[in-house]
Amino acid sequence: MSDFEIFRTIVTEFPYALLGSLVAALLCAYLGVYVVSKRVVFVGATLTQVAVAGIAFSHLPFADFEPLYGSIVFTVLVTLLFAWMLQSKSVPRDTVLGASFVAAIALRILMIQKSAAAEVSEIDAILKGDILFVTAQQFHLLLGVFIVLMLIHLVFYKAFIFVSFDAETATTQGFNSRVWEMVFYLTVGVAVSVATRVVGDVFVFGFLVIPAAGAILTARKVKNIFLLAILYAAIPPVIGLYLAFKLDLPAGPTTVTTGLVLLLVTWILSRFKH
Amino acid sequence: MKSQAQALVQFENVTLGYRRNVIAKEISFSIEEGEFVGIVGPNGSGKTTIVRAILGILKPQRGDIRVRGRSSERLRIGYVPQRDSIDPIMPFTVSDVVIMGRYGRLGMIRRPTSKDRAAAIEALKHVDLLDQAASSYRDLSGGQKQRTLIARALAAEPDMLILDEPTNGMDLASRTAIMELIKHFHAEHGMTVLMVSHLLSDVANYVKKIMLVEPQFFQVGSVEEILSEANLTRVYDLPVMVGEWMGTKVIIARGKRV
Repeated sequence: MSDFEIFRTIVTEFPYALLGSLVAALLCAYLGVYVVSKRVVFVGATLTQVAVAGIAFSHLPFADFEPLYGSIVFTVLVTLLFAWMLQSKSVPRDTVLGASFVAAIALRILMIQKSAAAEVSEIDAILKGDILFVTAQQFHLLLGVFIVLMLIHLVFYKAFIFVSFDAETATTQGFNSRVWEMVFYLTVGVAVSVATRVVGDVFVFGFLVIPAAGAILTARKVKNIFLLAILYAAIPPVIGLYLAFKLDLPAGPTTVTTGLVLLLVTWILSRFKH
Repeated sequence: MKSQAQALVQFENVTLGYRRNVIAKEISFSIEEGEFVGIVGPNGSGKTTIVRAILGILKPQRGDIRVRGRSSERLRIGYVPQRDSIDPIMPFTVSDVVIMGRYGRLGMIRRPTSKDRAAAIEALKHVDLLDQAASSYRDLSGGQKQRTLIARALAAEPDMLILDEPTNGMDLASRTAIMELIKHFHAEHGMTVLMVSHLLSDVANYVKKIMLVEPQFFQVGSVEEILSEANLTRVYDLPVMVGEWMGTKVIIARGKRV
């Protein structure tokens, strides 16, 4: 198949794979700027595993509901719990995240054991990052979540930025930092739960970190960081899907690897610039 | 003597703590408009807890905190936190940081206007950092970062300036520059200032009133009353000498426990 035919096949036969991965990448990249700058990268890894555990839960014989709802409920509950624990400071942050991460993986393995073979293969596809069969319904839900979360972040930009920079002073100026931190983690939780269902956990975690890392290396202004992160996120899904087709690889990990290569090139260029 | 209703901030038998852990018990004091007050005391004595209560972050467990005689009123406070508590990864410029001082006036949704940007520029002029407005906050020296945070506090057009250890980790020249800047705002603009510091010499030579905070004990009074040799020797459990050299108060610990 020629390169043109590959692109045409992707656009005509798997349009929601391309659109879904683009929307997921952009959403994760924007939120990832805060995740990286707040030094809570491991939150992303933990929440993706919690989302997969939620999907596995929804496949249990007694549960049997739409996996996306299981993902959202699990992720939102865990987000609220550890947002509270992270703020209370009674347990070190990485301990909370580490315990949540391993608990989510363990629960997922246990729940898969009790699921029918057909459901296990669906979870397997999510873990491998096989995004070619994203449905129109999944894409439209992801798009809706993208629009709502981006609106929240753009309208309340000042609050999110101020609390990220200096939570204590933000509180003295009338911004309840505890509430805004909770809102932030909830937006990340909802984004991760929906995006993981569509594009897989490796993709989601990768795009929470990689575009933001590239943007922070190159941007000189805060507003440019968000724009650059979105730009860095827009390129890999297109190239990654093409490479996945050409080399017969799973699309999610291929896209993330493409993003990593782009980050490496950015880092090398930034070293030469300095 | 001014009536209590004129005090900018009034604490009446206030007890502060975190759940069952009482940090300050039944403390009473007032801060009058235009005063320059210092808070000193050993590490962990409760200085920050009292500041948090004035800032409105910590509610009293008992007692009453009044602003201009009313419990319901809130002060507009220009807060300057400890510089080391802020370590951003994002490339905020000096202007980005200072404009945040206006956010409290804008509410949750409104964006800064030209009036807010003008207030930020004015604040930068006051701290002599206008030429660094486009510079990255991360790349500034300690003294410049501190002046940026002071500018942010001034941009809020506050009723009161509260500074937490503003000269922490600075060399002699930077410390002197910061203290002279704070003194200027107090003297020239009538700004009410509250400063937390463990550097007794700084406090002794700039403030007029001192709160000395010890675990479960609290004193407030003039510099001469509070920073006496007997008082400081007792509080710090070290022989302390208080003297004067060329009009400047000097406080030295002799390094041998009594």
